[in-house]
Amino acid sequence: MTERYLILEDGSAFKGEGFGSGATTTGQVVFNTSMTGYQQIVTNQIYHNQIIVFSQPTIGSTGITHDSYESILPTAKGMVVRDLASISKNRHRRLSLDEFLKQNNIPGISGIDTRYLIRKLRQTGTIKGSIVDVADDHAFDQLNATVLTNQQVAQVSTPKPYPNPNTGRNVVVVDFGLKNGILRQLSKRNCNVTVLPWSATAEEISNLDPDGVILSTGPGSPFDMPNSVLEMIQDIQSKMPLFAIGLGHELFALANNAEVTEMASEHHGANHPIRRIITNQVIFAAEGQGYAIDPKSVDRDQLIITHIDLINGTVQGLRHRDYPAFSVQFFPDAAPGPDDAIDIFDEFVEILDGNRE
Amino acid sequence: MAKAVVDAMAMQRALTRITYEIIEHNKGIDDLVILGVKTRGFYLAQRIANRLKQLEGTEIPVGELDISMYRDDIEHDSKETDPKVTAENVDFSVEGKKVILVDDVLYTGRTIRAALSAIIDMGRPESINLAILVDRGHRELPIRADFVGKNIPSSQKERIRVSVEEIDGRDAVDIIHK
Repeated sequence: MTERYLILEDGSAFKGEGFGSGATTTGQVVFNTSMTGYQQIVTNQIYHNQIIVFSQPTIGSTGITHDSYESILPTAKGMVVRDLASISKNRHRRLSLDEFLKQNNIPGISGIDTRYLIRKLRQTGTIKGSIVDVADDHAFDQLNATVLTNQQVAQVSTPKPYPNPNTGRNVVVVDFGLKNGILRQLSKRNCNVTVLPWSATAEEISNLDPDGVILSTGPGSPFDMPNSVLEMIQDIQSKMPLFAIGLGHELFALANNAEVTEMASEHHGANHPIRRIITNQVIFAAEGQGYAIDPKSVDRDQLIITHIDLINGTVQGLRHRDYPAFSVQFFPDAAPGPDDAIDIFDEFVEILDGNRE
Repeated sequence: MAKAVVDAMAMQRALTRITYEIIEHNKGIDDLVILGVKTRGFYLAQRIANRLKQLEGTEIPVGELDISMYRDDIEHDSKETDPKVTAENVDFSVEGKKVILVDDVLYTGRTIRAALSAIIDMGRPESINLAILVDRGHRELPIRADFVGKNIPSSQKERIRVSVEEIDGRDAVDIIHK
């Protein structure tokens, strides 16, 4: 193992050992509090441009498995862990996390005091950082000079439409940085899916004659998306059932005049308590968000708040008053995390069936 | 032989979806009242009212329509005589209200026809909409539901049994082959 450093924009440096790719990398440093699911986390496209710090102290102990890819080509910028597990392969495939990161050109660093680092990140909020070989002035200059792209969605979304064939219900998924879990849940429910690029227009969607539309999760800020996306949502929600997740939820909120604000510190973890208002039940779900909807900004004549985060009070779910259009901020497909909310996909297909009959 | 076709989770979701559809359809919940047909229709009506209260913070009046000669082990829609429905136990007016009529199973439509007469005898509502947990087909009257939990196309040789937590100890819909 080679000595490497994690350096942060505020001038601090952490010494550790490199694993995965040996490349120099720069991204926003965020932390994830999930106890399990590092493979699903690092392959989730919401981490495009981000270096992920894991609060779970040992990472890598179950290797890489076929069932846990959330994208084909992960675009996270790095992994920061306390201990990299020494036993790191599993019976399904002889591939370790270290080898996987090397194949995908993602650097990792271990031996970091992640408890201290996360406490610090809670203070500073999300800041830029780099994994480098030498923590000298040059490295800090490079870090400070790096401007991260705000075209994340365009970089991770599919450039062309593609099918996920099945027979039964016909669903269009608009890909803002799709998480495979969404397609997995639709496959289980016999949906014939067409995935369209993020820039799909209402006309392109309608031409496929879908029973319903899903707006996927994705990386970055909803404010970096052009107005045409909001216009597409306003048009589609009045025509067919719509279900929006993550970034899709933030865009659905903006399209319906709610206010979205950047959170002081991003929220990533698999264990967030959320109240489902209609039945007054508490469910636990995985969250991964840097932006949140202010409940006070929601126009009650237009939208109904359906889910609320019990820790920070942010809006976790919305529904349109006039149309069968709804959204959740969290990951209903879990992967990783508790599957308390997985039946939202059943809710969606039952709406489609009701409309067809 | 009984076969479960709707489990507790699916029943919860169906009631949740019906609740949202009621809000969509009525553009809110102003002037809404809910009438459930005894016995299980009334419990379903209460659950929809509870959901509306959770979402909108407003208590919606819920009434129970009595069905005469009702016995637990006999189909509502008996082939021999049409059921009689009375609104004697409803303690609010339906005059000018938007009524949501709730029952568990929609079959021949004869119970609903009788329920409509009983409601109209009470006063002149602005509108009446029908919410049904299970539509099993085989209508004998020109009646359809506005809000349907689940369509279960069935044979007339079968029976549909709806169980609710409040009196049956479980939420489920079963098909029973006679």
